[in-house]
Amino acid sequence: MARHRRGTMMAAVGAPEVIAQLESAAKVLMAPPSMVSSEQRQHAEHIFLAFRKSKSPFAVCKQILESSKVDYVLFQAATAIMEAVVREWILLEKSSIESLRTFLLTYVLQRPNLQKYVREQILLAVAVIVKRGSLDKSISCKSLLHEVGQLISSGNPTAQTLACSILMALLSEFSSSSKTSSIGLSMEFHGSCKRLFQEDALRHIFVMTMEVLQEFSRRENLSAHMCSVFQRYLALANQVLSWNFLPPNLGRHYIAMFEATQNVTLKPSESWREALLDTRIMDLFFAVHKKVREDSDMAQESLQCLAQLASMHGPIFPNESAQVSYLAHMVEGLLGMINGMEMEDSEAMGIANIMSNLISMFPRSTLTALPPDLFTSFINCLTVLTCSFGRSAALEETMDKDDIVYMEAYERLLDSWLTLVRDEQHFPRSCLDQPAVQVFNVYIQCHLAAPDGTRNMSANGVASHDEEEINELQEDDRELFSGQLCSIGMMGRVAADHCIPLLTSLLEERVTRLHGQLQRTQQHLMASSDLGTVDRKVLDDLYEDIHWLILVSGYVLADDPQGETPLIPSEVMDFSIKHATEVDINTTLQILGSPGEKASSIPGFNRTDCVIRLLSAVLRTSEVESRATRASLTEMLSPQMGKDIVWFLRRWTKSYLLLDEKLYKQISIPLSTAFGADTEGSRWIVGYLLEKVISNLSVWSSESELATDTVELLVTLVERRERANLVVQCEGWWRLAKQFASRSPPLHLLSSSVQRSLMKALVLGGFANMDSDTKQQYWAEVLHPLQQRFHNLINQENFAQMSQEEAVKQEIIATLEALCGIAEATQIDNVASLFSFLMDFLSSCIGLMEVYSNTPETVNLIIEVFVEVAHKQICYLGETKSMRLYEACLTLLQVYSKNNQSRKRGDSTAEEDQYQDLLLIMELLTNLLSKEFIDFSDTDEVFRTQDPGASAGRSVSAADVVLYGVNIVLPLMSQDLLKFPSLCNQYYKLITFICEIFPEKIPQLPEELFKSLMFSLELGMTSMSSEISQLCLEALSPLAEHCAKSPDKDTPLYHATQHFLKLVFDMLLLQKHNTEMTVAAGEAFYSLVCLHQVEYNELVQTLLSTQRDAVIYQRLADAFRQLTASSSPPTMDRKQKLAFLKSLEEFVANVGGLLCVK
Amino acid sequence: MEDYETATSGASETYPQQCSSLRKNGYVMLKGNPCKIVEMSTSKTGKHGHAKVHLVGLDIFTGKKLEDICPSTHNMDVPNVTRKDYQVQLYDGFLSLMDDSGATKEDLRLPDNEVGTEIGKKFDNGESFLVTVLKAVGQEAVVATKNYN
Repeated sequence: MARHRRGTMMAAVGAPEVIAQLESAAKVLMAPPSMVSSEQRQHAEHIFLAFRKSKSPFAVCKQILESSKVDYVLFQAATAIMEAVVREWILLEKSSIESLRTFLLTYVLQRPNLQKYVREQILLAVAVIVKRGSLDKSISCKSLLHEVGQLISSGNPTAQTLACSILMALLSEFSSSSKTSSIGLSMEFHGSCKRLFQEDALRHIFVMTMEVLQEFSRRENLSAHMCSVFQRYLALANQVLSWNFLPPNLGRHYIAMFEATQNVTLKPSESWREALLDTRIMDLFFAVHKKVREDSDMAQESLQCLAQLASMHGPIFPNESAQVSYLAHMVEGLLGMINGMEMEDSEAMGIANIMSNLISMFPRSTLTALPPDLFTSFINCLTVLTCSFGRSAALEETMDKDDIVYMEAYERLLDSWLTLVRDEQHFPRSCLDQPAVQVFNVYIQCHLAAPDGTRNMSANGVASHDEEEINELQEDDRELFSGQLCSIGMMGRVAADHCIPLLTSLLEERVTRLHGQLQRTQQHLMASSDLGTVDRKVLDDLYEDIHWLILVSGYVLADDPQGETPLIPSEVMDFSIKHATEVDINTTLQILGSPGEKASSIPGFNRTDCVIRLLSAVLRTSEVESRATRASLTEMLSPQMGKDIVWFLRRWTKSYLLLDEKLYKQISIPLSTAFGADTEGSRWIVGYLLEKVISNLSVWSSESELATDTVELLVTLVERRERANLVVQCEGWWRLAKQFASRSPPLHLLSSSVQRSLMKALVLGGFANMDSDTKQQYWAEVLHPLQQRFHNLINQENFAQMSQEEAVKQEIIATLEALCGIAEATQIDNVASLFSFLMDFLSSCIGLMEVYSNTPETVNLIIEVFVEVAHKQICYLGETKSMRLYEACLTLLQVYSKNNQSRKRGDSTAEEDQYQDLLLIMELLTNLLSKEFIDFSDTDEVFRTQDPGASAGRSVSAADVVLYGVNIVLPLMSQDLLKFPSLCNQYYKLITFICEIFPEKIPQLPEELFKSLMFSLELGMTSMSSEISQLCLEALSPLAEHCAKSPDKDTPLYHATQHFLKLVFDMLLLQKHNTEMTVAAGEAFYSLVCLHQVEYNELVQTLLSTQRDAVIYQRLADAFRQLTASSSPPTMDRKQKLAFLKSLEEFVANVGGLLCVK
Repeated sequence: MEDYETATSGASETYPQQCSSLRKNGYVMLKGNPCKIVEMSTSKTGKHGHAKVHLVGLDIFTGKKLEDICPSTHNMDVPNVTRKDYQVQLYDGFLSLMDDSGATKEDLRLPDNEVGTEIGKKFDNGESFLVTVLKAVGQEAVVATKNYN
């Protein structure tokens, strides 16, 4: 009663003043920026904020709605009603809620000229009321839907539009919890509301919508107004069909995940059978599309509706035959639609979606159960569309259109082919043969220049050619188009009989032309020697053709699976086996082994294995390239083609070279003869690849991407032992090793990352099988010179004096780079020897830190060596070795700290340098800590024992190093530096790790350090991104748990956790926060409550004492009691903790709204 | 400063290096100024073109940001950059510096920045300390101070 009186009084006395105040505030907000100051603006915003938070604002709001003429104020009044209803729901009587809802609806109905945003906000308030009411069943959707039904049947377009808006508001309010989280209710609540809604109200809405569409589709001439109503209902239909039906029994954590799915497919429950299985529904949408397809916006809606229908699956189908007949009807409708019209650009994507949904959502058995004629027509239609979209996509590219509708539609269909082709079980591949040939041919055609192809040709047949600037961030075609290439590669395998020989002949022919063209260029240059006079157009066209042919060949012949053993694709193997009897192996090997000659110049060239012949064609390309470099034509070559060649060879190597017969059911004799273990062919090809690598590394040092691809090929050759065994038998390998060790041109011109990988490869090669003398000799050539030179240098008496000489600095940098490369070569079976080798250096590196203490770039690189060693090796090291590494790292950090403590720098790069050092140090510490999570060390020792006696004997532990490091890092972590996102993330990751892993070490920190650590946590929790805030919250539980174990209560940590209790309390209960954070915050909260029960009770009491309203007071007090009911007294027990977390969620849902009110 | 002419003509002050093998954190001459490389990226003209390197550097003396772009096969001049620590002997607008072999050097002014202020403060407090002198292409500057340890 008291509440009502106060509310009414406020309205009676204050309403006109309130309205006047709000209207003038609105005027300020709407004024142009130049007319009002930012203080005025803030003040005005504050007025609205306070207004929306005011208690029981219903009467005032009604008055505002009825009397104010300012739209913005009306909007705010609607918002205030919506927020207050949810906030005060438990205090309101149901009848007054019902009358409020009626008031709002009537209000909108009577004012057809309301601003759209005001109307929608009021309808949203209605929807929120209905939804909140559905929880306690106090308000039902039925009566609202009944009213809506009347509006629709009135035939009045304005009323119909309003009806549609109401339905839209309901749909969006019930559809997803993410859109509605602002009313502060739990996921479970949203979930159960949604389930109720989708079983009943939603279906009702669908039926009403269908009636409207039916009605409109029958009419002949629609007025513009009617047309727009039609469009709205079509959009509504699309919303219903795109409803993400929530399955029963989906846990709360999954709801959010489930709702995050992007492409929702239609999976209604059984109760929808009658509504959706009726073929008239599908026919209606085909009819609607026919009617609206001239209007691109509406056409997209209607096609999207059809695409949703095409995705229908799940329990709605009573049995398979129902599904088959549904599919058959859909396909018939679709074919009828496509065949009877000329497609608009705007229809491409929608039609591709329908096709793609049919193929991906219906089981193969359903597809094959279609009448054979229908199935064939469907596949033919798919083929024709794919080819036509492919051509149009190519046109789009040539014309550089911003809108790439055909490209997207094309890719969608190519994906569908991949889905179709991958399933061999249900239909014979043969029925896809011809379609595959056609799709493949069109792809090739679109990517080749005239006369064979149509690349860069616009619609009128004119070829365009422009040179654009391409930066390194732009992906290479092989990645950019990997999706397309994957599908085309698969099509190439399906129709291998056609595609592999086609690729071979196209490539061979172009390589011959390239050879000729380069020769002519050379003659031309001999005559004029001016590169500028060379016409690059012909060459560039050839390069582009070859580029695409090699990419497609790579995708046809091999896959590049991550983390699996790459195999020769079964289709390619079968193709080779099928033709093995017609093949002359010797001729095949001869063609393979003579890349310098034209394939067709070798007698019997037609009787070769086609798979080997395609590889040979790439080798011929490679050979033309190599010869051109020897003829000093490097500048005429394409580095892109160079990349393509080594990319192909690497991909090929992984699957084919030294193929393991045990992995295949059947093996092709030509392939095993040419590439099997212990064959002349494999030895030859290893040698060839190695020479290619060596040549590229010297010729292309200036092309870092090509050099990178090349060195990757080398790493691939040696990273598997059986291949490495062959590699080290090559004379070229030793030459390369010596050349690199001598640090002379051309290899030292390579970029540092390529040099590191090269070092890695050389080290990996050293673990191949060799007799012991050879092995000794190898290491003497590769690693020992490095050691020797380094020691000679640093042991010179006057090293400190010479240390700044350029040659000395370069030697040092080269050594440090090489060490990083060596660390990269670490594998489980070589870690022992690499570790001891590197450890020697690490100690010397510490000496270097002293000598170069004033030279930041060297200091930085030294730290990087430690980072790399820790990163690659720590997970394999046993206890003794780990200890040595910890000690080395500790010394490094000590020296770094000593040298930087009293150093004041004023030069321009000081901040940049420091940022890089800190980032590396934190990376180092995180790497050392990672031992806690990932440990592959052979001995089964436990790295960190619980028994303090055992660790006492050790000199250094990971904790010591890490805390010492934090000691260095913390004082340097200024708030400015935390603005670098990568640094900030790394920093918080590190301190959270520390709190989780070594909570017992935290209280032992020196006072200053302890304080700054706590400050960092608070800062991270309260004023950083939510990701970091979450990390900090995660750090709190272990700290609190550690405190609880300790008997001493008067410690700084104990006091700090008290402070955090207040922070987390405020965060969880009084501030709006991200729902994702509730779990992390809740766990931290519980541990802190356990630790500080008295303080927690005080916080609760203080909060309650500010509450003047008796009803609210009681609600809150009850809620707090329930919150801890299941866990009193709270203890650090997992079960209790889980019970508490569940209660907390209810708590936030029930009274969270009340607490946020001021 | 009096040696400016001879200093800049010395052949050993810079050496050529292929553009592609320059490294981030290393040094390069950009538009005639010694710079620390803070950013390196590549681009090419047309898909089959050759790489060009785009360099962004900070002048090691002035902090000014400088950029350059050149074909990756070209050689760029790299300055010999050295750093040397000295004891500070006297101070009167000019600094009197002594290296660990006892050689002295009196041609450097007190820098007009935080390092300069720091040096003044340390002198007033009677602390003993070292300064680091950065030197490249005939220019020199005191860039850091450091206490004895």
